[in-house]
This record gives sequence, C-alpha cells and structure tokens, in this order.
Amino acid sequence: MGFASFAWYLKEFFRREWVAKFLFVKTAPLVTPPFFRDVPTLTEKECSHCRACMMICPAPGAIEVVHGGGVWHPEIYRGHCIRCGLCVETCPETVLASGRILSVQEADGTSFDATYYIQVDQTKCMRCGNCCVSCPVNKEVDPQMGSGGYSSNDEVIMRIEAGKHHVIHEDRCVGCKTCENTCPNTAIRVARVVTAHQGEAT
Amino acid sequence: MKKVVDVSFPIGPVHPCWKEPVRLKCETKGEKVLQAEVELGYMKKGIERIMRGRPWQEVMFLAERVCGICSVIHNMVFIEGMEAMSGIPVPPRAAYLRVIANELDRIQSHLLANFSYCYTIEHETLGMYLLNVREKAMDLLERLTGARVNKAYMIPGGVRFDLQAEDHVIISSTLDQIEPDIMRYTRMFSEGPLIGLRSRGIGILSEVHAREAHAVGPTARASGIRTDLRTQHPTYQKIGFSPVVRTEGDNFARVMVRFQEVAESIGIIRRCLDGLPEGLIRSGGVCGAGTITHRGEAPRGELTYYLKADEYGRIVDISIQTPSIMNIEASAHYMIIGATSLADVTSTFISADPCIACTER
Repeated sequence: MGFASFAWYLKEFFRREWVAKFLFVKTAPLVTPPFFRDVPTLTEKECSHCRACMMICPAPGAIEVVHGGGVWHPEIYRGHCIRCGLCVETCPETVLASGRILSVQEADGTSFDATYYIQVDQTKCMRCGNCCVSCPVNKEVDPQMGSGGYSSNDEVIMRIEAGKHHVIHEDRCVGCKTCENTCPNTAIRVARVVTAHQGEAT
Repeated sequence: MKKVVDVSFPIGPVHPCWKEPVRLKCETKGEKVLQAEVELGYMKKGIERIMRGRPWQEVMFLAERVCGICSVIHNMVFIEGMEAMSGIPVPPRAAYLRVIANELDRIQSHLLANFSYCYTIEHETLGMYLLNVREKAMDLLERLTGARVNKAYMIPGGVRFDLQAEDHVIISSTLDQIEPDIMRYTRMFSEGPLIGLRSRGIGILSEVHAREAHAVGPTARASGIRTDLRTQHPTYQKIGFSPVVRTEGDNFARVMVRFQEVAESIGIIRRCLDGLPEGLIRSGGVCGAGTITHRGEAPRGELTYYLKADEYGRIVDISIQTPSIMNIEASAHYMIIGATSLADVTSTFISADPCIACTER
C-alpha cells in the first residue's frame, strides 16, 4: 500500500507533459495594448512653437517646448508625465501621439480651445513692472522696454503707464504665467480657461 | 474612549489584511471585543489644499487621485458639479458613456472589495478568481478610456473619447463572458459552508445602528436602508435601475450586496450599450463662477463635493466628503463590538470596505 502510493506519486510527478511544462514553459509576453494612453511620443510633424501643450498640461514640469537642432520640439519628462493625453489632444499640428488618441480624435472631430485672461489686483500691485519686463510676448514686441515696464509701443500685452498697471492686449497672452512667477506681491494672475469642442463650430 | 482594560489591542497600522494604513484599537476581554476605536491620519495628502486656485483641467486629475480604486466617480461628481454650476448641457451620448465608465469602475471596485474580504477570511482561491474577473473589467475600461486606473474620461460638457464600433462589440462580448463567472463565484460565496461560518451572523449592523452611524452605500443597503443616489441621477432614471437591498446586516450581506450590484451594473451597461444615442459627445461650454454642493453614488456610498469657483472657473474653495468615513465609524462602533474572535474583527472591518485614501485625502 505504502509503496504503491509512493510509486503513483513518483509516476505522477515525472509525467512527461508536466516535466516539459516545468522546464520549457513559455508565458505569453506582456504587451502594451495599442489603445493604452502612454507617455506621448513625437510624430514627424513640425512644431510651430505655440506652446499649447505646455499650457494645458496639468502636471508641473512634465512637458516643455525646447529649441534643439535648429527646430522647436516638445520635450516630455517621463517622471513627471501623468499620461493624461491632454497635450496630444490639444496640439493643433499633431506633433505628439499617444495610444490611439490621434485617430479617435480625428474621427470624433474633437478639440480643446484655450483662452487666457490676466487679472491684476490693483491694491496689491506696486507698479514695479517686473511682469511687463519678464513677459516673453512683450519682449518680442518691444525689445527696448524700460526696466520699469514703460513702453511707447501700443502692441504690448501690458505696460506701466502713468504710475498704473495697464493690460492692453489680453488676447495676445499665451498663458505662460511668467508674470505670475516674477510678481513679488502675487498681484497678477493668469487664468487658463479651457473649453472642449466637437465639430467645426470651434 | 473610556479605558475599560489596561491594554487595548492594536491592529495596524501595518497589518497583512489592511490594504492601507489604519489603526484599530480594540479593548478586549479574552478575545471578546468590548470597545473599539479607529485611529486615522497615516496618509494625509492635503489634496483639497492643492486643488485651490486651479482650473478644472488640473483639479480633474487631482480629484481622481483622491482615490485610486473609485477614480471615475470622483471625476464624475466633480465634473457634474462644475457643469451644474455653470449650466453646461451634456449631450445624451456622453451621458450614457459616462454611465458605462462609471459602472465598469463600480464592477472593478466591488470585485476588489470582495477579494479583500475573501482574502481576510483566508479564502484566497475565491479571491484570486475575483481578481481575474476584475482584470477583464479593467481591460474594458482601458479600451473605453485609454487608461486603467486614473482614466480622466469626463470633461465639462461631455467625455473625451467616443466609443469605437469595435469596442462596442468587445464590451458586450466580454460582459457575456464575465457574467456567468460572477454568477458562479456568487454561488460559491453564498453556498460555501466555511464561508458561511465566517460570515453569517458576524458583525451585525442593525438598521437603527446603521442610521445612527450614518452608514452609506453597500454597508447601509445590507442593513435594510434603501439608499442609493443613482436613483436621483437623471441618466440612471432614464436607463432604469433599482437598488439592491438586503436585511441581514452581517458580513455575508455586505459582500452579497456587492456581488448583486456587480450583476446589476452589468445589466445597466447592457441597457446603455443597447440604447446608446447617436450624436455628439461634447457640447462645449465654459466653466464659470458659482457655488454648489453636488452628490453622487460612489462604489462605497454617497460622495459629496462642495465647490466654489471664480469667474474663470478656477476653484476657490473645495471640500470633499467621502463615503468611507461613515462606514468606518459604523464598523468600529457597532459592527465590531461583541465580536468573539480577533479574526472576526479584521474580517468585519474589511467587509465595510474601508478606503483610507479617500477618508484622509
């Protein structure tokens, strides 16, 4: 009785298919499905340096449009990216791709549209002009802007005029929030208002 | 808590049965629990403070990260609150897609909760079966939204991606696959004699006590309270749905309510897929100023968002009330009292499905 059960056990243990499975088993390889929304990758399209991807990104420091090799291109920092895919959806030039967002978006005709508003708290503002000087759009429009934020150019976004902060062209703001970061009193705030659209109505 | 014994028996914050750190202090006589108290605060994130001053496209992602298991409902309640505040209409197709995403999320959350219970009563076989089914539900979510945990599917005025034609087929065929599995596991749970010994008549929460502790969700429904905020949601009203209520109030009833709700959710998704309206999935619309308190039914119960936004749709003030805290209170102050074994304490606590990440935010 004891020997028979021991023999049965050995026979069961060393049966061919079990040994083969034990030694040569192959599990199915782990593959990322094509519809998974992974960290965005670059397509071959040309970046127009509009920075819409940077402005919609919810994660701090995850994407940056940098100049390298003579062209502008978005750079994604993998450790900061939360794989939300908003940059892919918002890019007007389809520079970025992730999962099947681009094809689905093309089929649906969806898009994001962002407008930027500048709010200045006049009671906190001490008219130092840091915001006007640091603003990258201002720098482009009027490179000669004075250190106090004075400018004779009417095309700038904002300037200090007669001892007061004036926002002239709010519509030119690209939403980068550089002014927010340089303001010593947190008097200026930029609002990024994003709207989701579908169809040609945008 | 008034001390009745010299040493109160601590369970946690690090314990094999706990998924998240929480400390349960039990005053025991022998192994009989006389009183119990919960100690929270091991994983405070301060996420409501981070949300302030940010627009919806940033808060939406933070709201999901309040809780990893029920991320869709956090997103849904926040976005629906913003919509109700600014008067943004939702296209009917988007509303149906939201329900599909929410119910798939409920399926995976309930299956995970039931896995934890099975694991706690040392029935790991059934637990692993449930995790296998949960994997399929998560694959469906990935197909619909592109991600498995933090989906970021709903946005003000609609959803992000439309349901593709091939996914429509795959979702309904996978639901056909997992439904018999869930029926089988429900039968295994309800008829298993050893599971019955560990679950039936243990951790009883009477209806009176459930009302006193303000229990919500499956915990309240297992004690005979007919409460489900989905009955007040316009899309669910259109689809038709009735809450699952049991009257036993023990561990068994709480787990069975979740099993039955999974079956109910499968039915809801089927009805959504059959009656999916054609049309747009986004209606545009700009978030504006306002104050609102918005509620929704999370897998664990009633979830409340209090929102206050400025004229550019930035969050000025936000406060979140998550369902788990009421259930944890009900569990510590009513269910556990009188447990005759410390093994029943862990299983009773887990049967209320405590989500500590939600509770502490």
